[in-house]
Amino acid sequence: MDPLFWTALRLSLEVALWASALLLLLGLPLAWALAFHRFPGKPLVEAVFLLPLVLPPTVLGFYLLLFLGPEGPWTRLTGVSWAFRFEGLVFASILFSLPFALTAYREAFLGLDRNLLEVARTLGVPRWKVWARVVLPLVWPGLLSGTLLAFAHTLGEFGVVLMVGGSIPGKTQMVSIYLYDLVQALRFREAAEAASVLLLLSLAILAAARVLEAKGRAWRSTTA
Amino acid sequence: MEVHYRIRRPIALEARFHLRGFTVLLGQSGVGKTTLLKALAGLVPAQGTPFGGLPPERRPVGYLPQDLALFPHMTAWENVAFPLRGKDRRARALELLSRVGLQDHAHKRPGELSGGQRQRVALARALARKPELLLLDEPTSALDPLTKGQVLSELVDLLRREGLPALAVSHDPVLAGMADWLVVMGRGGILQEGPPEAVWAAPAKVEVARLLGYENLFPVRVREDGVEAGGVLLRLPLPPWARPGQRAWLGVRAAEVLVVRQDLPPPPENVLEGHLERLYPEGLAYRGLFQGPLALEILLPRHVQERLRLRPGQPLRVVLKPRYLHLMPGEAEE
Repeated sequence: MDPLFWTALRLSLEVALWASALLLLLGLPLAWALAFHRFPGKPLVEAVFLLPLVLPPTVLGFYLLLFLGPEGPWTRLTGVSWAFRFEGLVFASILFSLPFALTAYREAFLGLDRNLLEVARTLGVPRWKVWARVVLPLVWPGLLSGTLLAFAHTLGEFGVVLMVGGSIPGKTQMVSIYLYDLVQALRFREAAEAASVLLLLSLAILAAARVLEAKGRAWRSTTA
Repeated sequence: MEVHYRIRRPIALEARFHLRGFTVLLGQSGVGKTTLLKALAGLVPAQGTPFGGLPPERRPVGYLPQDLALFPHMTAWENVAFPLRGKDRRARALELLSRVGLQDHAHKRPGELSGGQRQRVALARALARKPELLLLDEPTSALDPLTKGQVLSELVDLLRREGLPALAVSHDPVLAGMADWLVVMGRGGILQEGPPEAVWAAPAKVEVARLLGYENLFPVRVREDGVEAGGVLLRLPLPPWARPGQRAWLGVRAAEVLVVRQDLPPPPENVLEGHLERLYPEGLAYRGLFQGPLALEILLPRHVQERLRLRPGQPLRVVLKPRYLHLMPGEAEE
């Protein structure tokens, strides 16, 4: 197989890994707040976080390019432009996959029996212990499944990363863009190979996520 | 111990009552029983004593919610050990489990235990933090109706052995019968409290009587030496508050409406003639409806029905003995 394919796949996997790991850190408190707290303007906040779901990826990519580009506010703030760079790809992927991760995390938290948390408080146990021994053991299947979904979703993104990263082979050419370039060059045999690898990979990740969701539901049904 | 709590949300109520041993707070659903319990545990904002102002973590109470909220991913002993610290937490958890008679089930998850066993695991877990007061929300609801009575009396025995005051809220009169002290709650506050026999025998209001399972409750008008209802005069000793002409409520339990034989001379007072409209078995007893000047539910023990052999539709003579008639102040509701 074309060595460029492996380079592109490796870049995609790295971006997806970074993005989903950072999403886990960022998304957990956010999803907790959305699941259990009421605050003014909550529907608007939720709408903003869900926006990448319905926005054309090119629109999101366009704004991100302006934001991260040499003249953008991010560059003025930090002194470095993240456009056409690895960091820019990760940043864009986080925003792009946020709705997926957030929805999955929130579902996991909402599935948690509030009575368990209340009783845990009355048992005089410090909060970290409630988190470590009750919350996380019960919600981790949901959290991991959400993270896997975000990972798979990042692997499959095209429009946003094309806008933000372009298609610099070995630097910002992600595997989906690599495939597109192959088709443009009428190299269908290689494109078919690359596509089948991506197909199998995505299927495996989705199947793993479903297994985890079923596990999460199993706990839920014994809570009552 | 005296409890005095004022709650605004989610239900506005002010409750002031005593706790003596195993105290049962009886009330219909929706009056705020669970809210009051949660307020005592510190889970609902409220003002009052005891424990007012403390966060739930610092209140010395054990709270058993209706669904018990055992941690589904932990075994029985891990559940009990959850509030414990130190190297010997496992040994202490096992000791607590044996105190509630569950030493043989220490390694089972909540899903593998029966309702009564789960309740005792929850109790052991609550005992682990050495509470001064135990709060039980509807302890009868998770129990199998067949074994309910036995499981409950074991639970109450256990609490008495531990010497731990407990407040159980319920709408189940069976539980109320096991209490050391009975508190009845209505919308917005407490209606009556006292030793259970006193409350059972003399409910202060018609709502209390209804909660305690008085089947026959009807509005009456007070007369010189009794009350008038449905055009008949029923004689009974009047309580000091009753004035002739006043409206009031009369309560009588179905089991205390006496059916008498018609071939014998009738007793001197409070005899009603009518017919038996319905009769159907209830366990080993028979429940029926007497239709006469008043409609009365009746409950016949098996030995009475075996002697009288009553059938629906036949004429019936019943007697309301003055000592089983209970008069309560209050206007008719409808």
